[in-house]
Amino acid sequence: MNQVLTDKKVTKINQKYPRHTQKVLKGNYAASESAVLCHSTVIPAYPITPQTSIIEELSNRVSVNKFDATFINMDSEHSVFAAAMGAAMTGERVFTATSGQGLFYAHEVLHGIAHFRLPIVICNVGRPSIPWNIWSDQSDSISQRDTGWIQYYGESSQEVLDDIIQAYKISEELNIPVMVVLDAFYQSHTSENIWVPDQELVDKFLPKKKLSGSEIDLNNPKSFGGLVPPDSYGNFNHGYWNDIIKVEDLTNKVGKEFEKHFGRGYGAVEEININKDTKQILVTLSTITSTARGVIKKHPEVGILKIRLFKPFPRKSILKVLSDSNVDKNKCKIITFDKNFLGDSEGALMQELRRALYGENYFIQGVYVGLGGRDVPPSTVENIIETCKTNNDEIIWIDS
Amino acid sequence: MIEIRGHARGGQGMVTAFEILAKIFAEIDDYQVQAFPAFGVERTGAPIQAFLRVSREKILNRSNIYFPNLVVVFDETLIAQVPVLNGLKKDGAILLNTNSKIEDIKLKTKNIYTIPATQISLDKGLGTKSLPIVNAAMIGAIIKILDIDINVVANIIADNVPTKPKENSESAILATKNILKSKNITDELKKYLNEDSLDENNLDKDIVFKSNNQILDFPSWNKPMSINKTGNWRVVTPKYEEKPPPCSTNCPAGTDVRLFVKQTSEGKFADAFSTIYKFNPFASTCGRVCPHFCQQSCNRIELDSGLNIGAIERFLGDKGITRKFSKSPISKTEKIAVIGSGPAGLTSALRLRQKGYEVIVFEALPYAGGMMRTGIPSFRLPLNILDKEIEAIEEQGVVIKLNNKVTIKELSNDYDIIISAVGSHKSNKMKIPGEEFATDGINFLREFKLENKNYDINIGDDIAIIGGGNTAVDIARTVLRLGAVPTIYYRRSKNEMPAIPHEVEEAINEGVNIKLLTTPISYNKNSNGKIVITLIDMILGEPDKSGRRRPIKIEDSEKIISVNKVFSAIGQTFDDYVFEGKKVKVEQGKIKFENNKPVFCCGDMAWGGTVTEAIGSGNFTTDEVVAFLKNQNYSSKDNPVNVVLPADINYNYYLPTPRHENPVVEMKSFINNFTEVVKGLTEKEVIEESKRCLHCGECYSCGNCYNYCPDAAIHIDELNRLRIDYDYCKGCGICFEECPCSAISLKMDEVVNESSVN
Repeated sequence: MNQVLTDKKVTKINQKYPRHTQKVLKGNYAASESAVLCHSTVIPAYPITPQTSIIEELSNRVSVNKFDATFINMDSEHSVFAAAMGAAMTGERVFTATSGQGLFYAHEVLHGIAHFRLPIVICNVGRPSIPWNIWSDQSDSISQRDTGWIQYYGESSQEVLDDIIQAYKISEELNIPVMVVLDAFYQSHTSENIWVPDQELVDKFLPKKKLSGSEIDLNNPKSFGGLVPPDSYGNFNHGYWNDIIKVEDLTNKVGKEFEKHFGRGYGAVEEININKDTKQILVTLSTITSTARGVIKKHPEVGILKIRLFKPFPRKSILKVLSDSNVDKNKCKIITFDKNFLGDSEGALMQELRRALYGENYFIQGVYVGLGGRDVPPSTVENIIETCKTNNDEIIWIDS
Repeated sequence: MIEIRGHARGGQGMVTAFEILAKIFAEIDDYQVQAFPAFGVERTGAPIQAFLRVSREKILNRSNIYFPNLVVVFDETLIAQVPVLNGLKKDGAILLNTNSKIEDIKLKTKNIYTIPATQISLDKGLGTKSLPIVNAAMIGAIIKILDIDINVVANIIADNVPTKPKENSESAILATKNILKSKNITDELKKYLNEDSLDENNLDKDIVFKSNNQILDFPSWNKPMSINKTGNWRVVTPKYEEKPPPCSTNCPAGTDVRLFVKQTSEGKFADAFSTIYKFNPFASTCGRVCPHFCQQSCNRIELDSGLNIGAIERFLGDKGITRKFSKSPISKTEKIAVIGSGPAGLTSALRLRQKGYEVIVFEALPYAGGMMRTGIPSFRLPLNILDKEIEAIEEQGVVIKLNNKVTIKELSNDYDIIISAVGSHKSNKMKIPGEEFATDGINFLREFKLENKNYDINIGDDIAIIGGGNTAVDIARTVLRLGAVPTIYYRRSKNEMPAIPHEVEEAINEGVNIKLLTTPISYNKNSNGKIVITLIDMILGEPDKSGRRRPIKIEDSEKIISVNKVFSAIGQTFDDYVFEGKKVKVEQGKIKFENNKPVFCCGDMAWGGTVTEAIGSGNFTTDEVVAFLKNQNYSSKDNPVNVVLPADINYNYYLPTPRHENPVVEMKSFINNFTEVVKGLTEKEVIEESKRCLHCGECYSCGNCYNYCPDAAIHIDELNRLRIDYDYCKGCGICFEECPCSAISLKMDEVVNESSVN
């Protein structure tokens, strides 16, 4: 027998999920796996580093008849999203993935998809633009935050897989598209343990897509995309607004429902070690959260607020965490980790948090960290914690 | 938690290896795992890193690994380029893919494991010639270091590799047996698998190697690209290397076929003739009668049809033989006697005469040339052609004494060396009843050609010829020209016929009958003077010593035919008169024969059976004689290695071009027409034909490498030669793949730029 088994310590990770298969998958393959489990029916695609392996895997599965979907090789991301839009209009469940420049190029169509109210789920593997760089960064997805898409940021391969399943549920309920964002390489190309649910489990949670009746129908011709005059235009926005404000609650509700089916629960935000004695709250997006979790084990006075739903920004959930935990506004600093630079003083996370906490009188500090794939080892997180103990600058560039 | 950092070159499979390792640990024992690459400039050969964490706890660190327990280096040249030991913990170790001995490895740690992973992968055929994929062997080595049973994980490796599952798991298993470790190594890394991770703050004293956080090697992006010398990305090195072509290596005479074809294509006919003449003084003859082993092995056969080298040689021979030959002075004291004036004897005599020895050739018959003159009919080899070639040899000082049937003993007093090259002019016997009724075929060919004896063959006679060699075919074609009806009876199938295939085809075209798989068992003569042959049918059995399938008689299949004459042509042997009838074991070179002077043998009596083989035999024996006279040890040349084969040729770069076939003379009637059947090519055709050469193994400056090199690392130097700049060559192997003629080799050894022109 394998020797390791004989001197095995008590396994600390004993969480087992019934009706799941344990695997080791990269974030990108988790995304592909999830798209298949969700019975996506149309995949228009164009490759770009570091997203390529998502669509490669889907293309491969379609080619060997292991995935019943139409895979369309497009000539650019603009076309990819146009095709996605058209396919969604016919009532198909559409999935695609892109990254960086690809997402920038698709910007125009992103608006179209959102305001045509088309339920589409995509993955974006974050990378920046210029200076040219292919590594992990969130400026691509965050600069699309005003296009009308819901955005989730996952921490692990498991979360990517789970988020896509929940995203279809939410997207199809509200007819708003969802972007599930992965960190390049730290998530997209990292092989790690993951529980893949059985197909029946997913099918029960996410039934077949219901048609709304407004799809393209050859027997019932309609016009799409006609010119909307000033007197009607605002009505469309108002209708959209009525639904977008439901996203936060729906995210929490669907996250709880997901837990009932799958055993793993999710919310718009996650609080870690936040209480009345907390001196620092690190506000994080995606994979940096994992490393921060490790670091704060030695810092009982530091907590983490992980933002999973970034757009629309979960104001209610954040306020609830802060008030329920009796955080002392006079002693506690809130520190945002911004892995994006968008041409303003604050990074996007700090902007959003300031907006959310307007009038609440919290001390908010913004830290730029991990831009363009700069590694964020535990020592960097330590450095932030130490620096912010004494340094009260509004904005800190920790790596430079 | 154990943390492993890998250093490799893009394309060696490290990222996949680490993914597979993660799967292995998760699968065998529910470990928490994390494997990811640190992407840099992801191109083949670029230095890359990958990371693997294996833990009993949930892994709460998603950054690169700065303080590894184990550093794994997939390519040893990285040691000089990347600070691989950076941050390695004190009791940590390094695993190095190398063939070097551990004591020869200069590293700042004493904990070293080595594994010859590249060798294992090459042996198992993993990866490409330009980049062996070493990952399976490296997985095996890591598994061994962590003390995990390879047999438990071999199937996980097989399930997760993209191709060749069997070879990959085999190389992993092989690696566990080939891993070596340094003396006094701590060798306890497996314990970290189950231990909690160490607090990085408490690490400092554990670190033996300076950590500068700069383990990734990015090219300089803000300076001219020329400062990024990427030559050190190479795993294998392309190198221009001339390799032997199959035509030259298959020529029994040893002729540099590729060279004379090239010279011909450039119109340098005199040079081309000299190239042939260096090895073969019978270019005109061979151009006509040689089976052209060169042509048979020509790599162009795979594309359209082999080069007509015979026609080129014939043209060069006919043109070249008219030149003036000069006589070398006799500079040596030893006198050499050659018995027999066939191709072997004359070649050997000429070679030795050119080297300054006095050489006398003794010929039993009243004419020189051996079987070329007596055995080959004039419609294949006109006499005047042969005469000119022999005259040229005499012109160079070789003395031929005709009508001199001699024994070795008779010559031994006057000569220092005796070379016997008497050929095979004595017909073999079938040893069947009534053999006296059969006519000796080889005698007929000689007497008909040189003494005009037609053996009373009349128009319309039925003639049977027994045998399947060139003698049989030549007899058939000769009697056909006498108006008779020849039929060849051969005991095996057409494939086994030793005659030159195109001669067989020509014979069939002329009207010769061939009956296969049948052999006579007796001859008799009937009352009206005809010869009665009892034939029996044969079937082919297992291959015999010659590699040909053995004929077996079929019981009760006898049939009887009657013919006017039957020729026996079942092979010849040498006349042992030269040894005074003594039994001697003949072989090429020096033979054991009791005599006061050393005796050598060459030609048909010792080896071969064609003119060209006899010439080669003459060359071989000459070299041995010269070595003997100089008191040197003679060793025959080694078999050539790296001969260019069709698999080495990139046929996409050659256009199919029709072969220039020798015209065959259309004859209204064969009767008494002994003029040459096959004609040569014109000068223009010969040049065009020689331009069909693929240049196997020799650069012909096509420039493909120059055009395709993605790094512009190939340039043309001051002498107009293609040169590889090894400062920038990443070893991608594209030049190797795109070289049409296999003039570039991939080498494992490192190469540096030549210093300028030399």
